Amino acid sequence: MPPLEDEILAMRSSVAVSRMDHVCQVRITGERAYEALDRIVAADLRIRDGQLIHSLFLDEEAHPFADVFIASDEDEFLILAEGPRPEALLSYVRRHLGSGAEVEDRSAENAVVSLDGPYAWELLSLVAGGDVVGLPYLTHFRFDRGICYRAGKTGEYGYGLIVPREQVEDLSRLLLERGSDLDVREAGLEALDRCALENSYFNIRREGREPLTPIELQLQWRVSYEKPYVGSEALSRARREGVRRRVTWLLAEGAVPEGGDIRLRGRSVGRVVNAGHSIGSESIALGLIDLEWAHPGVPALQITENGTPCCARSITPPLWNNRSLFVSPQIHSYATRHEFPFPPLARA
Amino acid sequence: MTFELEPRLRARERILEEIRHMLIERLRVARHPDEIDPDTPLFGSGLGLDSLDAVELLVCLDADFGVKLPDDVLGRAGMRTVNSLVDLVLAKRESDAAVGG
Repeated sequence: MPPLEDEILAMRSSVAVSRMDHVCQVRITGERAYEALDRIVAADLRIRDGQLIHSLFLDEEAHPFADVFIASDEDEFLILAEGPRPEALLSYVRRHLGSGAEVEDRSAENAVVSLDGPYAWELLSLVAGGDVVGLPYLTHFRFDRGICYRAGKTGEYGYGLIVPREQVEDLSRLLLERGSDLDVREAGLEALDRCALENSYFNIRREGREPLTPIELQLQWRVSYEKPYVGSEALSRARREGVRRRVTWLLAEGAVPEGGDIRLRGRSVGRVVNAGHSIGSESIALGLIDLEWAHPGVPALQITENGTPCCARSITPPLWNNRSLFVSPQIHSYATRHEFPFPPLARA
Repeated sequence: MTFELEPRLRARERILEEIRHMLIERLRVARHPDEIDPDTPLFGSGLGLDSLDAVELLVCLDADFGVKLPDDVLGRAGMRTVNSLVDLVLAKRESDAAVGG
């Protein structure tokens, strides 16, 4: 099995450990930290201590600048961001943060290690203690090495461990050792991105490069229309004027090129903005498609690049019966997994 | 096959509108209909529904659309996104039409 497919299988059936060096971090402090951050982040910042929200930082044209988790931590806020480099994130926050709040770069000191998979909680409990078993989604707690949060972008149980950068090697080695009975694997960013695509998570490094608003990206659940923030005026304007296209998931019979033209009955109806090989010989792709056709259930699409057509159809993601939906930490364990009649991983 | 595509997609759009209104009126989702994108996750982050809402959603799907799902992990696995619900309702209506027709 190719290493990438091996990494993905671990994420789908056991657990994978990944270094998240692409995630940068800043901390917001000060007596007006909440008000200042609420004027930047696109979602309503309604979180209590110990919780996280998943939202976006937008640019002035309402295009995603960063895909962010924001953690509330004892009157301070920790921002975990994908997309920009640390210096660009710092510059963005400094530019838009109001008075009464300070921003501190944490990317140089801290790093994130992620655990993803239906048995990620089991491996984590061996390192961070049994309390992780009951950790609700989008919450965090402190453990002896740093901060552990539950989030993930794979459709499986997902945890991030924020630890001092000099401890990352030691922690990764410890996780791989303790997880040997769980068939743990190391996985890279490509495996994480593939799983995100299969489970319809936004990828700021792929479709996020396009000049699209959260409306076209189907990310309105991550934004508010009730407050001002960076990009809110442009977003409200786009909403009033309406958009012409929307991202839609496709399953194709073969390799799909990013940028490929999507055609229906000989007419161009969109183009591919993210794609990757998926189950069997099929590819999963994200198409930016004319609204009229931007629904699941459109058969006989053709994707072409350089004249070679590939057949595709639009679908409702995810492609998987994510095992994490069926695995309960209170009932199951990796050692007893064969005793339970779980549905097959791939959806029919 | 292709001549049936447009009516089927327009039927999908009508069901999508019905589902959006059900989520707002019955599940108290504090959004305008056009803010609820078709592939929005229902639980967790997404629309933020919880396990109690899942039970209410099962009741609404049955009462409003005649879609019966088991109140267990298999039933809930069929309710991942708004479009998952549209798929269920569309399949039910097409099945009813096939039996009736």
